[in-house]
Amino acid sequence: MTISTFILKNALRNKRRAALSISSVAVSLFLLVTLQVALRELTLPPPSAGAELRVAVRNKISLTNPLPLRQRGLIEKIPGVEAVTPFTWFGGKYKNEEGMSFAQFAMDADKLNSVFGEAKMAPGGYAAFNAAKDACVLGKITADKYHLKVGDRITLDSTVYPGSLTFRIAGIYAGTPDDRNMLFRQDYLDESIGVPGYVGMWWLKVKSAEDMAPVIKAVNAAFQNTSAEVRAESERNFQLGFISMLGNIKTLIASISTVVVFTLVLVTASTMSMAVRERFRELAILKALGFRRRELFAFILAESFGLTVAGAVLGIGSAYALYTFGDIGKMTAGIFVSFEVTSRIMGFAALVAAVLGIVSAVAPSLAVARMSVVNGLKTLD
Amino acid sequence: MALPLTYNLRNVLVRWRATLATILGIGLVVAVFVLVQALAVGLEKSASNTGDPRNVMIVRKGSTAESTSQVSLAQYQILRYWSQIARDAQGVPLVSADVVTLISQPRIDGRGEANVSVRGLTPVGMALRPQVKLISGRWFTPGQREVVVSQKLARRFAGFQVGDTFRTAGNTLTVVGAFDGSNSAFDSEVWMDADETRSLFDRQNYSSLLVRAASPQAAQEIIAHIETDKRLPLLAEPEVKYYGDQTATALPIKILGNFLATAMSIGAVFAAMNTMYASVGSRTREIGTLRVLGFRRRTILASFIIEGALLAALGGVLGCLLALPLHGVSTGTMSFNSFSETVFEFRITPWLAVKGMLFAIIVGIIGSLLPALRAARLPVINALKSL
Repeated sequence: MTISTFILKNALRNKRRAALSISSVAVSLFLLVTLQVALRELTLPPPSAGAELRVAVRNKISLTNPLPLRQRGLIEKIPGVEAVTPFTWFGGKYKNEEGMSFAQFAMDADKLNSVFGEAKMAPGGYAAFNAAKDACVLGKITADKYHLKVGDRITLDSTVYPGSLTFRIAGIYAGTPDDRNMLFRQDYLDESIGVPGYVGMWWLKVKSAEDMAPVIKAVNAAFQNTSAEVRAESERNFQLGFISMLGNIKTLIASISTVVVFTLVLVTASTMSMAVRERFRELAILKALGFRRRELFAFILAESFGLTVAGAVLGIGSAYALYTFGDIGKMTAGIFVSFEVTSRIMGFAALVAAVLGIVSAVAPSLAVARMSVVNGLKTLD
Repeated sequence: MALPLTYNLRNVLVRWRATLATILGIGLVVAVFVLVQALAVGLEKSASNTGDPRNVMIVRKGSTAESTSQVSLAQYQILRYWSQIARDAQGVPLVSADVVTLISQPRIDGRGEANVSVRGLTPVGMALRPQVKLISGRWFTPGQREVVVSQKLARRFAGFQVGDTFRTAGNTLTVVGAFDGSNSAFDSEVWMDADETRSLFDRQNYSSLLVRAASPQAAQEIIAHIETDKRLPLLAEPEVKYYGDQTATALPIKILGNFLATAMSIGAVFAAMNTMYASVGSRTREIGTLRVLGFRRRTILASFIIEGALLAALGGVLGCLLALPLHGVSTGTMSFNSFSETVFEFRITPWLAVKGMLFAIIVGIIGSLLPALRAARLPVINALKSL
């Protein structure tokens, strides 16, 4: 019998316990990975292509205060600005649904491609969006959810404007980080139930990355001391602004993760000491046979490490499989669209497992080191 | 039956080192379970705790938040002098036409900004909301650009302490007082003069009307009247119901809570099973002895399940105790209804503690079921022979 088969036999001697220990480590690591991914999704939303050339301009008071249309001409004149489009929240509810399941914004049809070029549509989509006033384009996730296709009509009841509007779907897009939104035409809103002369916010496309900072500065300065001061910022900072609004949710998830890790250490350490206590006599015999302390340490460490690593493979692997191949939108009622298990998070979880394996071996190893052979041989338990 | 029970009870205490880790583990799981549920309860409590039963809230039909609702001056004029509306001693109708708007304010820790609800109202509006009490400074003077901030909100945002000033909409506002909203939705608001709010934020319309009905009967009549009057595309509801329905924000927290409860309970069941198997394994001879003494299999089975449940119940108590210090601690997140910061408290209700205990005991029973079966099925002779 080689040393490694000895360790393996020992670990699997009590198969039930090995299975239970591995499972509890696996469940905890699954949970840890899930929480870490959720935390990452909340704090670091996925950047979209083209974000580095986009500027968001909102009312300085808050995002919910409108901006006057007259700002448009002044923004377009700023050097480095390539395209400007309004972007107005409609807050529509679809089919008497309780809440809003997707967001809708009014914008300029001819600016869709220049400002949000990453939204890819079947040929003809852009032309159709430009052609009809009541046209709209719909994200693929929403279109799939409601089985909508090009040419269908949808009616939305606005929670912001008095009344409802009917749209005809001109195209279905995909390719943005969140293919759920619906985009329709600002002029359609203005002519029906909107407030002409006001828009929700502006989105700008700048000509090059070097133009970003000067354009942001110029836009902010342009409306200082006017009735509608603005806050211009990069798309990234705009997204981070939303995250700041989530408040203490981040702290909550981070503290739960800590508790999960602590519980994990506790349970695994206790399992290991149970396993060692059970074979105290055998370890005493090994000692009597002339095995050294460090060899006994190695036996215990290898066994505990093996258990946690097996748990890690199972837990992290199943989390990866579930979130990579499962439909996260359905699982979380639409709260998360992407739920990417990054290699960094998997690495972190694996590290936790490795440390766990070592820590759990410490207490039993110390007990074995301290035991005298005679007392160890006398143990009955 | 009496002997195995005391036997099991004493076992839990005697083998304390082995059971302590399990108790602590289950305790932590229960603490997390209770705390996340306490958040959802706190959010719902602050919504359902808002309003006066005598008041009727009027908003634009189809709006989901006061900040996106609009009531025009003309509409206000139409219903202001309705006879169903109570009047004060001077004969002034008790109607409050409020303006609610959101402002983006920096957080106190310097980490970003968040939207805060500002309510513009009149002294009548304050009288209609007796839940809100001034705790320091003074109320704002009508006609002045002064605000009174909820004390709980002031702890979360910069420039909200009494005496501070902050800038919004190109103007400077002075904080002259702090109020406490008695754990209602008003704890998430900044209050100032209605007309100053309208002028500052360039609002022609009001956001909502709050009226005091002369009687419960009158309240029904107001609601029915608004429903049928074609000139008024408005929605009237008892104030308590209006706020009580604003609980969408609690949903993600509930989803998180349920997910955690499921995943952590599975982990806890495994851990409890491990402990109970070890406990049964090391007592094989004792179990054999009990059987020889005449205790029946089902008694052994029951006693081990009870031991597991007891172990878990201790964990449950520990978990509730661990969670308890956070009761009443206020926290905040963005409300999906109002799109602004909503402040609420962890609320550990007795029912929640009972749920936590039940959760622990169920984990204990499921975790000890298989080990207990094993104990009950041990062949007597072999059990006695075992070391």
